[in-house]
Amino acid sequence: MNAIEIRNLSKSFRGLYAVDHLNMTVPVGAIYGFIGENGSGKSTTEKLICGHLVPDAGEIRLFGRDYTDAGVRVRVGALIENAGCFPNSSVRDNLMMQAINLGLEDRDGEINRVLAIVRMEDAANIKFKSCSLGMKQRIGIAMALLGDPALLILDEPINGLDTDGMCIMREILVDITKNYGCTVVISSHILGELEKIATHYGIIRQGKMIMELSAEEMDSRAQVFISLKTKDVRGAMAVLKQHYTDVRLTEDGGLRVYDVDDTEGIVKVLLENGHVVSEIWRNKIGLEEYYIELMSKKGADAT
Amino acid sequence: MTRELQFETPGFAKRLRGMLGVDFYRLFHTPMFYIFLAIAAFIPALIVGTTGMQNPDGTVTQGLYTNVWNAVAADTPLYTFHDMGGYANMNMVFIFGGIMVSIFIGHDYKSGYVKQLFTTHAKKQDYMLSKTITCAFAMMGMCITYLVGAIAAGLLVGLDFSVNVGSLVIAVLSKMLMSFGWASLYTFLNIIFRRYFGISIASSFFFGTGILIIGIGAILGDTPLINVFLYGSSVYACLGANIVTLVVCLVCSAVWTAVYQLLGTRILSKCDIY
Repeated sequence: MNAIEIRNLSKSFRGLYAVDHLNMTVPVGAIYGFIGENGSGKSTTEKLICGHLVPDAGEIRLFGRDYTDAGVRVRVGALIENAGCFPNSSVRDNLMMQAINLGLEDRDGEINRVLAIVRMEDAANIKFKSCSLGMKQRIGIAMALLGDPALLILDEPINGLDTDGMCIMREILVDITKNYGCTVVISSHILGELEKIATHYGIIRQGKMIMELSAEEMDSRAQVFISLKTKDVRGAMAVLKQHYTDVRLTEDGGLRVYDVDDTEGIVKVLLENGHVVSEIWRNKIGLEEYYIELMSKKGADAT
Repeated sequence: MTRELQFETPGFAKRLRGMLGVDFYRLFHTPMFYIFLAIAAFIPALIVGTTGMQNPDGTVTQGLYTNVWNAVAADTPLYTFHDMGGYANMNMVFIFGGIMVSIFIGHDYKSGYVKQLFTTHAKKQDYMLSKTITCAFAMMGMCITYLVGAIAAGLLVGLDFSVNVGSLVIAVLSKMLMSFGWASLYTFLNIIFRRYFGISIASSFFFGTGILIIGIGAILGDTPLINVFLYGSSVYACLGANIVTLVVCLVCSAVWTAVYQLLGTRILSKCDIY
C-alpha cells in the first residue's frame, strides 16, 4: 500500500495548467523530497492532496482510500505556506483549537507532546503574532503533528529561516521522520538539507512529474567523478580530453573527470605528459548537482 | 520506525462536535464577541436614553419611545420605513450580527486557519453548519444583552413598561429564532466573498439592514407576503405577536437556513478554499 497515489491529476488556473496529468507515488514510511523550480506545481500538488484546491481531473488516493475520506483525512497534518494560526491567540490556544477539532481526548498532554517535539515548551503562552518566523514555522509543524498523523505534508518548511532556524528545523524534521514513523512529503529548494533526510524523491517540472526515484536509485544514478588539482590546469585538461569524454573545469580552478572511477589511470596519464597532480579524490555528485544537470538536460530537450 | 496504520472514520456527530468545539472556543476567547454583546446593550440604551435629555437651549429632547418595549419591537409589523422609532429595534442586532459573522469567518481565511480545518477530517457542510450555529448563538446572546440594555435604560429614564408579557416573550423568542436564518445568510455571503473581507462586511451590512425588503415593502405595501423573507419575519415578530408569529418565524428561519446551508456547502465543495 502506498501513502499517496496520484494518477493523472490536473489543476489549471485561468486556462494555465499548474499541475498537468501528474502521477505520483509515495510509499508508506517514506520521506519524500518533492523537488522543482518555482512555479513548477509543488505547492499546488500539495494543496490538492490537502483538499485545499479542487482538482480539474485525476485521482488522489491516500493509504488506499479516496483522499476525501474523513477517516484518512483525520490522520493528515500539513504546513502549507504558513502555520494557519490566529495571530492574537496564544500558541497554546491555537494548538488547543486544532486539538478540539481533531477530537483528541488528552488535549493538554498532546499539546505538551508536540511543543516538546518542536522545542517550544517555554513559548506556549506567548501570542502567535509575537513569534519569530522560525518559531511560527515550528508552531505550524506542531499543529500538523497533533493527533498522531500518518501523513505529514510540509511545504518549504525551511524557507526564509536564518542559519540557526534552519539548523533547529532540520533537527526537528530528522526527529519527526526518524522517530515518529509517519510518511512525510517535504518540498524544499534547499536540496542539500533535503538530501540528508529523504528516502525518495519526486522531481516536478511545469506541472508534470519528470522523475520519481528512491535515494538508493538516486545514489546509483549519481555520476561518479574524479576531482583533481594541478598547476597547469588548461594543459592537463587538454591531455585528459584525449583519453576521457567528459572533463570539466571547476570554479575553484580544479578539474573534474566524470563517469570515471580510475584515479590511478588519470594520475599515470598526466604524469606521462609532465603534469604533477597535487590533489586527487573520488566523488559523487550530490542531489543539487544531479537536479541541476537533469533540469539542464530537460531544458535542452524542450528547446 | 513503522506503525500499524488504522483509519477510523469519524461520523457526522463527532465531526460537528469537533468543529463546534473549535468555533465556540474561539468565540469565547475572542474579545470581539464581548464587544458586540456590549454594543448590542449600548445601542438601545443610547436610543432610549435620549428621552428627556435637556438640550442646550433648555428644551427637552422628544424620545423615540414612550414605552420601553418599543425599543425591542414595534407594536405592529411595519415592513416599510415609517420612522426611525419603528425601524430601530431589536432587529438591529441582525446588522451587528452580520458584521460580527464577517469578522469571525474573515479571520478564518485571513489567518489561514481554514486550511488547518480542511486538511483534516472537516467536511464543507460541517463548516457551514458549525459557523451558522455559533454565530446564531452569538446573535441570540446579543438579543439578550439588547433586551437588558433597553430595560436598564428604560428604568433610568422612567419609560412606561406596560406590555402584554406573552406577546413580548413570543416576539423576543421569535427574533432569537430568526438568528439562525440570519447567521446562515451571513455565513453564505462570507463564503461567496471569502477572498474579499471588505465586500463580505459590506454585503452583510447591506442585507442586514433589510433595504431590499423595505424596497419590496414600499412597492407591495405592508403585506404578510413579506414574511417569506428573513427581514419580513423579523419585523413580523412584533409586540402583537402570538403563537402564529412563532411558527412563521420558525418556518422562515428553518427554510432559509436549509437553503443557505445547501448553497454554501455546494459552493465550498466546488470551489478552491482560497
